[in-house]
Amino acid sequence: MSVKRHGIGHFIIIILLAVGALILVYPLYNQLVISLTGTDYISRASGTTIIPYGFTLSTYKTVLAIPKVARGVFNSIFITAVGLVINIVFTSMGAYVLTKRDLVGRRFFITMIVITMIFEGGLIPDYFLMRKLHLLNSYWSVILYKAVNPYYLIILMRFFDQVPPSLTEAARIDGLSETKILFKIVIPVSVAGIATVSLFYGVFHWNEYFRAMIYLTDEMKYPLQVVLRELLISAEKASFIGSMNFLKVTAAAQLDIKAIKAALIIISIVPILAFYPFVLKYFVKGRLEGSVKE
Amino acid sequence: MKGNIQKRIIKDKQMYLLLFPVILFFAIWHYIPMWGARIAFQDVMYIGANKWAGLKHFQLLFSSPVFLKVFMNTIIISSMKMFLIFPLPIILAFMLNEVTSIGFRKSVQSVIYLPHFLSWVVIAGLFISLLASPEGAVNKVRIFFHLKPIAYMTSTTHIRWVFVFSEIWRSIGWDSILYIAAINSIAPALYEAATIDGATPFQQAMNITFPAIIPTIVTVFILNLGFFMNAGFDQVFNMMNDAVINHVDIIDTYVYRVGLMQGNYSLGTAAGLFKGIIGLILILSTDRLSRKLTGEGVW
Repeated sequence: MSVKRHGIGHFIIIILLAVGALILVYPLYNQLVISLTGTDYISRASGTTIIPYGFTLSTYKTVLAIPKVARGVFNSIFITAVGLVINIVFTSMGAYVLTKRDLVGRRFFITMIVITMIFEGGLIPDYFLMRKLHLLNSYWSVILYKAVNPYYLIILMRFFDQVPPSLTEAARIDGLSETKILFKIVIPVSVAGIATVSLFYGVFHWNEYFRAMIYLTDEMKYPLQVVLRELLISAEKASFIGSMNFLKVTAAAQLDIKAIKAALIIISIVPILAFYPFVLKYFVKGRLEGSVKE
Repeated sequence: MKGNIQKRIIKDKQMYLLLFPVILFFAIWHYIPMWGARIAFQDVMYIGANKWAGLKHFQLLFSSPVFLKVFMNTIIISSMKMFLIFPLPIILAFMLNEVTSIGFRKSVQSVIYLPHFLSWVVIAGLFISLLASPEGAVNKVRIFFHLKPIAYMTSTTHIRWVFVFSEIWRSIGWDSILYIAAINSIAPALYEAATIDGATPFQQAMNITFPAIIPTIVTVFILNLGFFMNAGFDQVFNMMNDAVINHVDIIDTYVYRVGLMQGNYSLGTAAGLFKGIIGLILILSTDRLSRKLTGEGVW
């Protein structure tokens, strides 16, 4: 390294990046602080509070006891888990077949899939289809809707392309069926690829709110994101908790709306934060493998 | 030759069996709605079959001052995001490239990629709180400097800038990944030679790094241009409110509100189709442009 690299320019860049990263993370930190602030101090907590006065976890306990929130957590986990299994099974089936270069009709199938990336029927035809299939107000509407994502399929194809053909050839000679080759050989040697698309799908399901909001009518089926959105938009504590529950969940009734919001935001991003440090490299790999956006 | 193809299909029958459910998924969840979009040319009947209505709904759409406003909003918001935000991830990648401490660089990167994984519901929640008047962080700082607090979320002059800044917050790190990778693939020998010749880090950035990543910059720009009509439904939908609706309502939110919520199914679908066709033209023409400029299509 040359001495010049440690000059004043280098120093300024370091400072700018450090300050930038702090500003970027601050809004999240501020919500964390507010969610941990004790009831006696919460009314004075604001956007510039950086220490949780009267530290308490009771806000979380109370918020998680609101029936809607508890159900929301369950629904989100359920939708994400079931959705993920379906996504991975079918995406890898599609990716496996479409990486076979001499398959008759391969170009046709790939074109058919790519077309869906650049043109879609739209929201209203989607809604009518759900209604026709009698999937409205069913978890399946949110789980199955676009079960195979074309972008992630193409990302997985790039990973499967790197599996040495000698491996699958040997298995074929041993008389293994294509299904067995896929699930017993190709998938196990493509851990990085499977991990990458699982993460993208997982985040997609966890963050899904819009389709859930329009397809599901029963509040008790709402995933966490829809519950959070309701609170942010309505901003009315009583209507959010529900007048019935308002009497039952007295602890929630005494909470500051600010604290409820903050706790709910943190709860909804905890799974992402928990996995994030370990899986970042897969995300970055996926971003680079999928040259097309999103 | 024909017999040959038949033989190959029969040999690969297990493959087609595996592919079948995937193709079925695409047929159901993508192609049936495409066919369903024909209601843009029909009157929806509650009893009996829909009646063909020709271009009636498109005529209604284009003569509606609300839709004209919505169309303009889409273009304005999308342009602001596209042209103002585009250079930032590139600058960021250059800055990160100058950092010599790998530990510091990795920590900064892992922090700035994070917002990309948060939902727009959460991001809207964060920004509503950050920009709240007068207790949000931004207004607290303004008050400290004896400036009047501003209710950003309900201010028609500020709300579009809120979109720009929240988009920067969410994607500056993530969008820099491609540029960082492009910079990393530059041969180190070029820099060593330049250092021996006495080039400053700034000269090296301008004369080695920048020319080397121009193809990446062009490709990303062309790709973004193809998606120009997507002004950001989730962002607008979660940050909009009655006070600013006339300034932020975009085609996608119009489809939801007027089409689905108010039950003008044909009109809403027509609006969506109009946007989809412009998008398709943009994508196809930018792809051709890319083939001309870089010798490679983006699709």
